[in-house]
Amino acid sequence: MPIIRTIGLTKRFEDLVAVDNLDLNIEEGEIFGLLGPNGAGKTTTVLMLSTVIKPTEGTAFVGEQDIRKSPDDVRKLIGICFQEPKILWVSTPWDVLNWHAKVCGLSTEERKKRVKQVLEDVDMWDHRHKNVHGLSGGMRKRVEISKVLVQRPKIGFIDEPTAQIDVVGKHKIWNMIRELRDEGSTIILATNELHEADILSDRVGIMHRGKLLVCDTPKTLKDSILGGDIVEIRLEKEATQRALDELKNFQEVVDVIAVNPNNLRAYLNKVEEVVPKIMKLFLKKHLPISSIHMSEPSLDDVFVHYTGLTIEEAEQKRPSG
Amino acid sequence: MWVVERDLRMFLQYKFLIIMRAIWFVAQIAFFGLIASRMVVPDLADIYFEYYVAGVVIMMLYSASVFIGYDIFEEAEHGVFEYLLSLPVSRRELVFGRSIGGGIRSFVFVGPLIAVSLFVIGLTNPLNFLIAFSALFLFAFGVSGMSITIAVGLKSSDRFDILMGALNAFIIRLSTTMYPQAFIQDANQVYATLTNFNPVTFASDLFRWGVGIEKYLTMNPMPLAAIIGLVIFFSAFTFIGVTFYERRLEGGGWK
Repeated sequence: MPIIRTIGLTKRFEDLVAVDNLDLNIEEGEIFGLLGPNGAGKTTTVLMLSTVIKPTEGTAFVGEQDIRKSPDDVRKLIGICFQEPKILWVSTPWDVLNWHAKVCGLSTEERKKRVKQVLEDVDMWDHRHKNVHGLSGGMRKRVEISKVLVQRPKIGFIDEPTAQIDVVGKHKIWNMIRELRDEGSTIILATNELHEADILSDRVGIMHRGKLLVCDTPKTLKDSILGGDIVEIRLEKEATQRALDELKNFQEVVDVIAVNPNNLRAYLNKVEEVVPKIMKLFLKKHLPISSIHMSEPSLDDVFVHYTGLTIEEAEQKRPSG
Repeated sequence: MWVVERDLRMFLQYKFLIIMRAIWFVAQIAFFGLIASRMVVPDLADIYFEYYVAGVVIMMLYSASVFIGYDIFEEAEHGVFEYLLSLPVSRRELVFGRSIGGGIRSFVFVGPLIAVSLFVIGLTNPLNFLIAFSALFLFAFGVSGMSITIAVGLKSSDRFDILMGALNAFIIRLSTTMYPQAFIQDANQVYATLTNFNPVTFASDLFRWGVGIEKYLTMNPMPLAAIIGLVIFFSAFTFIGVTFYERRLEGGGWK
């Protein structure tokens, strides 16, 4: 029995369909990555599942509770780290977390212990009595995610967990999210950082323009791309259409995307055999290769595969409300 | 309870505002009250001064209780509203807690001013004062509930600001905060009728009765109507307001 089950979940804001007929199952105890560019509908989905906004159509069951019929019961199961820190400028990190823990029903002793522990873990202990107005964006985000870490909810929604946070901080927070999952929480991670989702998520769902395109483990999704190997070719000159067509005609090549006129990405099989042929082709076409790089597909490639767009292109082309 | 605590703590953060309002109160009674009371019949000048001091206390209580509506816009601007809506408390508990919190914190603010007014006016019957004081809590909770209901209903800080400004002009001036009912009746019957149904009138009458100065100005031994009026006002804006708030927010958040 999934811990979250959405049935035709839809949210419209006037003419804009932010979430379109979403059917999704999330299993208990997993980190589920909800991926997509800004404007894909991730945050709206999280806000509906957490009963902050009401669906236009459809519904969802969160821990067997219907978000429409029993929103109060749903809220007892969840904790949220919002995309933008939700903190009044007059508060301090200590006050924010202490009050949050009180509302979530933690005993005084447990509350003090957890707040101290989490503030230390996210490197905010020394700043605990500073006014949040004086904190950097990254520090405020640490306070925001600390709410979920202190609360340890049955279901945690974490929207862009490491936005504005430095690399060292990111790794710490990733580890803390994994620990939260290991302690029994189910985590829904909404992010447009595909690398973050790849290394953290047990399963991912890719959203684009309000729709769920695909949902599976990162490995299965990456393996599902025809042409399991990727070759990035940087040319010193712009590739001609004729050269591109000849490259596409190689039997081993499944697809070629021009990331830009000088940078090609080829999805192919039998990389060892085909790379010499590629080099020979461009040499013959008087298109010197400045670098060639071979890799396995990432979730970025999965996104490109299913949408025909890179995540950056998808963000630029997103519909406006 | 935590919702109440939060609103109290939030209010105490506005130290500058609290100090300025307290200065306004002192200036209002030390200058305006003292000078304006010289304009009435000499025999009643001192009584009017006491009458006016009591009225200013109620005006302060009203404006402090309204303040929670502005907090809601501050929270909406910072996105805190969505956070509050995601907490493991029902909408009903949230709004009820906020109405109570808004009322209590206005008492925290007005408490010292009431002490000043008691020093100026004196206290003849402590039991009456306790009854009046308790009823004023209902007034403060009701005004907070009204402010929250209007803020959530309008969902626009500009419109809220304008409406509350207009409402303040009418609700204070068409009440007995600054002038007795008999003079309002003399001036205009419609004004007097409206004044009779104004919660600010109920609160002002009760407070004056509690501190023992109403007896100089009316014949009512006990303003039962005022107590009933405040109970109705409190009920309307706390319970009906809560339901309205619940539906309004459950149906689509702040936006």
